[in-house]
Formats: sequence, structure tokens, C-alpha cells
Amino acid sequence: MPHGVVIARNAAQVAALLKTAQAERVPVTVRGGGLTTEGESVAYGGVLLDMTGMSRVLEVDADRLTVRTEAGIFWASLAEVLRRDGLDYLSAPLNLTSTVGGTLGVGGIDVNSPRLGCSADQALALQLVTPTGEIVECSDTENAALFERAILGYGQFGVITEATLRIRRYTPIRMRYFYYSGLRTAIEDLQLLDRNDASDYCGILTMMDKAINLLVAFDSDEREAAFDANWQTRLRGSGEAGFALRMGLHYALRPWRLGEALYLWRRKRELFPEFRRPEHTRDGRMHDRAVVFSRAVWKFWGGRQMVIPDLATSAGKFADAVERGNAVCRRFFPHYTLYCVGIRLREDHRAHYEMSCIPPDALGWAYGCEFEPMIGDAVYSRDTLQSFKNAIYDIGVDIGGSYYRFGGMMKGYIRRALGDAVVERHLAMKRAADPAMILNRDVIF
Amino acid sequence: MTALNGKQRDHSACSGCSLCLLACPVWHQTRDIRLTPHGRAKALQHGATAGEVAASIASCTLCGACAPACPEEIDLVGMMLELRKQQPLAPERVATKLNGSAKAVLRAGIASTLLLPGEGLREDTARLARIVRLLGDAVALADDDGSDIGLALEAGVAVDNERVARFLDGLRGATRLIVADGIMHYALRRLSPGMRIEGLGEALSTLAPVRARLRASDLYVIEPRAFHGDYARLIGHYDALRANSGCAMNLDLQRFAIPTTASSAQNALGLPGIDATAQARWILQGRSIERIVVEDIADAAVFARVSARPVVHLGDV
Ligand SMILES: Cc1cc2nc3c(=O)[nH]c(=O)nc-3n(C[C@H](O)[C@H](O)[C@H](O)COP(=O)(O)OP(=O)(O)OC[C@H]3O[C@@H](n4cnc5c(N)ncnc54)[C@H](O)[C@@H]3O)c2cc1C
Ligand code: SF4
Ligand code: SF4
Repeated sequence: MPHGVVIARNAAQVAALLKTAQAERVPVTVRGGGLTTEGESVAYGGVLLDMTGMSRVLEVDADRLTVRTEAGIFWASLAEVLRRDGLDYLSAPLNLTSTVGGTLGVGGIDVNSPRLGCSADQALALQLVTPTGEIVECSDTENAALFERAILGYGQFGVITEATLRIRRYTPIRMRYFYYSGLRTAIEDLQLLDRNDASDYCGILTMMDKAINLLVAFDSDEREAAFDANWQTRLRGSGEAGFALRMGLHYALRPWRLGEALYLWRRKRELFPEFRRPEHTRDGRMHDRAVVFSRAVWKFWGGRQMVIPDLATSAGKFADAVERGNAVCRRFFPHYTLYCVGIRLREDHRAHYEMSCIPPDALGWAYGCEFEPMIGDAVYSRDTLQSFKNAIYDIGVDIGGSYYRFGGMMKGYIRRALGDAVVERHLAMKRAADPAMILNRDVIF
Repeated sequence: MTALNGKQRDHSACSGCSLCLLACPVWHQTRDIRLTPHGRAKALQHGATAGEVAASIASCTLCGACAPACPEEIDLVGMMLELRKQQPLAPERVATKLNGSAKAVLRAGIASTLLLPGEGLREDTARLARIVRLLGDAVALADDDGSDIGLALEAGVAVDNERVARFLDGLRGATRLIVADGIMHYALRRLSPGMRIEGLGEALSTLAPVRARLRASDLYVIEPRAFHGDYARLIGHYDALRANSGCAMNLDLQRFAIPTTASSAQNALGLPGIDATAQARWILQGRSIERIVVEDIADAAVFARVSARPVVHLGDV
């Protein structure tokens, strides 16, 4: 527990807080939505700085397609404002209540990340309050080194108080679903679509390793028509009816697996209507997809005991990583979900990625998979859940991958994944920027 | 309390997802998590008493938007009403109102459908007469619409059983109630299970002549309490209305109604609270509309203050 909580209201107040904290050596932990799952925004003593008090949208430029916003704003609140002008952000985590600042600090993946990159890459400029309390503007061209460290920097090098983001015109989307019974085939098809820029949104969502759904979506009829003409027939997944028939046959021949079949059937019946809610559907298009996906995520995957370890790898290692992670899930839990998505990398941002989830050997795209046990009302001990996470993280170390979430609770893996040299270099930079090591000090170092 | 699907329904089930914040007008204006269902639930999970979250309890406008927003299906409105009983809003002021309105007697009439107009409409007799005509011959005005009970319920002040019994007695014989006051809608759904209970907005917007007069250039302002209180059913009704008329609605991206909060107990009791005109401005932001159509008569004055466009009650379209 923190000793006190400060609700951030403006940069000057944050600067004054950090100056005093630096002088008095008081730890300050920054919290946005608090949704990172490795304790990154949990304060053990000191001050918790609640950034959600800084939630105003400052300026929307519909011509240049940019927005300047306070960084404690939830992505959903930003979308509310942008939508009044027919605009939208580019990409954000599918949970509605992570914040701009928290997400720029950790990365952010969305089902359009194969095309648009991680959410942090949509930042054009930041206002940052450094750990010693200076208010600084930074971007690729102004204080570029600081910008490099702040983006995907887990709040080590400053508190993001404002951000200028690229935005775009809002479009409803048309969804298509392809079903697979094998993880590797689905992943190969996902990567085929990503490599060829064949869709606007693409990701895999599974019910264990039994019903694997490749979700593909489009912003425009033209993009969908091009997909139909060039790629659809090359995908090896089936449609919903065909897949249901195959599954029926599969379980008819394996009556001892009836429990699993019933679970899949029940899950489908609960889950599918959520993605087809009439109030979010017009003319066959899904409106406000982030709301639809995120509400489903909270409803079906949320809860007080959430555990979502993940692996991030280069394209070539991804199928192996997912298959090995899947075997771990099977060992620990009767029911679980895998969520896989590609992240388009920006070559000019390679330096941003150095101390982040993006594995150093990834070229063009990195791939991430979240392993999400469906805990429901079951109760697992902390030890069991930690063992599960370690088993997943060990795969990352073994194959030379990385992790989407670094944080206090998996500190032990940071040096193993990134190597001493990188960590030591960043630690030296951290010490120079934050002499008393007050800011988010339990997260990385 | 346990929901049908087995999920716990009290504050102990709160996962901290913050989805309730997105829908909450108090959050929208204060950005202070302590004044939200999330803040209250977490405080209670950690052993806080109602007294320790008194400011939070006092701030809630009972618009009900947080309840359908909550993926854990916590009965957030019920939870707030329970907390209000422990920390009532201005009990002395409520007591005055209780005595005052208990004396009010309306035109008598027992019919299978009763209209409970609520305080705002009851005072506007000409409009009320038009609305009754519009609703048709089968609808009669209730002698006693229980506005004082609604206010007391919202404020957390106890109402004696005799008063409640008298009120329910006046409804005997009716099979359908049309209730203008959203909080009474909530109360009656619990007090009179089995009775068909509709908001005035729903009842009017179901009428073909009313629907026919809605235009694509209208902003249609849904009364939030009745809407959120019966959300699973009403979202379909309003979605069809929007699709038919093409009008804009005071819905956010999650499809919850953005309230002005004009009908809150804080306003009725002259207590500090949410700035209803700021809410109206937010509802209007970026929308190009030609007319504002409100279900709740209290919203008419608020929109008239912030917009030069004509503002009409749904009964007057
Ligand atoms: C149900 C659920 C679904 C999720 N889905 C996704 C998903 O689809 N995609 C995805 O990418 N992630 C997802 N996540 C993970 C999480 O949402 C992301 O990591 C998110 O970006 C975190 O944002 P936040 O505002 O909650 O950050 P926090 O957890 O509050 O903070 C993250 C880190 O940044 C620091 N920080 C916070 N704000 C600032 C600031 N203003 N300045 C500097 N440092 C700051 C914190 O100290 C911490 O170290 C999910 C999590 C949950 C619980
Ligand atoms: S009822 Fe309305 S004001 Fe009260 S907490 Fe819920 S959303 Fe906020
Ligand atoms: S929506 Fe429900 S579960 Fe989520 S924070 Fe609010 S009260 Fe808690």
C-alpha cells in the first residue's frame, strides 16, 4: 500500500511533487488505468500518483489528424471526444480503461497492430515531467533521446503528462471469422495475411487449442474485395457451419471428451452474441469495435484473479512459442484462451524498443501471444498461478523471446531476457536521470 | 447476493475494471475515482464504513448508468440505495417534502393503465393533459404518483410503511404503469413485481404518431434511470427507434445514456452536485442537430439554457 495518493491535476503539480520526492528520497509510483498485470503500477509505500485526474482532451486537429491530450485519459474517453468529430485513435489495448500514458509506457497491442504497429508508435510528441521535476517536451526531433526512453519506458524516465497522437477518420468495420483446429496452421495463415497487408485487422482468439478463430476485419469494401479476390481461398480455415460440423464429428467419435465438447458449445453460445450485438451493428458492419471487444474481454476474461502471462517473439519462432505455451496451459488449467497478434515494427523506432517487449531479433513484425486461463469461480493458490506464469516465461528465455509485460513481479526475467549489457546501460541512464531512484523504482531495475 | 450466472453481486465482486467510470457523470466532471462505484467498492472491500465514504455516497446522482456497465453484474444502484440509508441526503429537507407532497391529490381515476407523471409534469397541467390524450383513453392519471416516496428513496430517508401502503393501494387494479420519474420506475419494479412498468419515454416513443414525427436532425434525449434500470430490454427499443428515425441520441459509445442529472435528488433538494448544464453541453458537443427532444421534462430547461435550438418534450413533438 502507498503511504499517500496524489491525484494528478497538471504538469506543474506533478513537477513539484517529483522535485520534493527527489529531495526527500520518497518513491513515487505512477498509475494510469492500473491494468498492467505484473504489479507495475502497484505502490509498496511512498506516493501513488493517480494520472486519471489529467483526462482532458486539449486540441483536436481534424486536418492534420492529430490530437493533443492529457495523458491520464482512458482510451475510451478519448474515443468519445474524437467520435463527435468523426475521428478515432489508431490503436489501443482492448479493455477501454487503460490510459494513454500507461499504454505509451508499455507498448499496447490491438487487432490492427499488424498494420499500424503498437499503440505507443502513434505518439508524435510528449510532455514529460522528468524524475527531477523538469517539464520537457520531446519527440523524434526535439529531445529525441528522452522521447526514445519515455516511449515503452515503463515510466522510468519521466511522467507523461500530455501526448500528441496521430489519429484517423472513424470507420465501422466488417468482420470475418475463419475457424481452425490446429494452432500452427492458423498462425501460418495469420502471418500470411500480415506479410501481404491483406486485411486491416487480424488476430487469433481461441478456446483452448480446440476452436481456433482467425479474426479478420476491414475498414472498407475495397479492402474486403481485394481480400476476397486474393487471399480468402488461400486460408485453410473453415466457416462457422463447416467447423461446427467437423467438431460435432470429432466429439461424436470421442464420447469420453463430452465435457470438453459441452464447454465449447456453452462458451460459443455465450460469447458469439456479444460480438454481434444489434446496437453495435448497422448494415452488417460493427460499430465501435473497441467497445464490443473490450466489454466481451471484461465479461468473459475479467475478474479479481486475472493472470495473463505472455510471450513475444520474432515471426519465425512464434508458432513454436505458442505450441509450447499451449502445452503449459493444458497442464495447469482445464479451460483457457490464447490471443495472438502481430505488431508491425517501425525501423526508425528500433531504439524505442530496446528495453521493451519487442524481441531484438524481430524484423518487420513481432508476434505476441497472451495465455489466459479461464479462472471463473475456481480458486487457485498464488503459488500455482506463479508457477504457471514462470513456466510460460521460461519458454521466452529458452527460445530467446521477450514479454509484453515487464514489471515488478517478473523482474527476475528481465536480465535473462534482455541480457546484462542492455539492462546495465539503461540502469546507468536511469541513475543519471533519477539520482534518488524514486520514479517507478520497483518496475524494471 | 448472487446473480443467475453465479457471479457475486455486491462490492466484493468488483474487479476494478473501471468500466463504470466511463458511464458515470460524477467521474466525467470530477475525475476523482473516490466518487465512483469503483472507488466505493474498493474502499468497502478494504473495510471502509459508509461514514468514511460519505462524500462519495452524497455525490451519486443515481442515473444508473454504472449498473449495466458493470461486467461483474453488481447491483450498483441497489448498493447505492443501501449506502444512502446509512448516509442519507439532507434528511430534514426531505422530511419537509415528504409532508408537503403527501397532501397533493390528483384527479381520481382507476384504470388498467395508470400514468404516474412525477413532480415536474404534474405541475405543468396543460402539457400533462396533452400527454394523457396522446396516450389514449385507456390511460388514467394516478391520484398519487409517489413522488415523495421516490425522493425519500433516492435520498435514503425512511418512509413509513403506512405511506407506502397507501400509495400502493392507489395503484390496485392497474396492470400497467407508465412512470415518468425514473427513480419511481426503479422502485415500482421492485415493489410491484409482475406489473408491467414502462417509463413515460418508452410509452410515448412506442406510439406511431410520435415515432412518425421524430426527424433525423433531432437529438433525442433518453431519460436515463428507466433506461438503465431495464437496459437489456430497452436498448433494443431505442436502437430500433434510432434506426427508424435516424435521430441522434444521448448515448455514449458503450450505448449508455449520458444524463444531464437534472432530475437528481441533489437538484431537488438544492444540494451541491453535478453541473447539469455542463452535462448538456457535453451531450451536444460536435453534434449538428436542429431540435432537441427530451423524455424527462426536467431536461428541457437545461437544454434550453445551453442551446438556441428548439427543445420539446416527447409528448409535444
Ligand atoms: C482485461 C485486460 C485486457 C487487456 N488487454 C490488452 C490488450 O488488448 N492489449 C494490450 O496491449 N494490453 C492489454 N492489457 C494490458 C494493459 O491494458 C496494458 O498494459 C495497458 O496499456 C496499461 O495501461 P494502464 O493505463 O492501465 O497502465 P498502468 O498499469 O497504470 O501503468 C503501466 C506502467 O506505466 C506507468 N505509467 C502509467 N501512467 C504513466 C504516465 N502517465 N507516465 C509515465 N508512466 C506511466 C506505470 O507506472 C506502469 O509502470 C490488458 C489488461 C487487462 C487487465
Ligand atoms: S448511478 Fe450514475 S452517478 Fe451514481 S455512480 Fe452510477 S453512474 Fe455514477
Ligand atoms: S464496473 Fe463493476 S467491477 Fe468494474 S470497477 Fe466498476 S464496480 Fe467494479
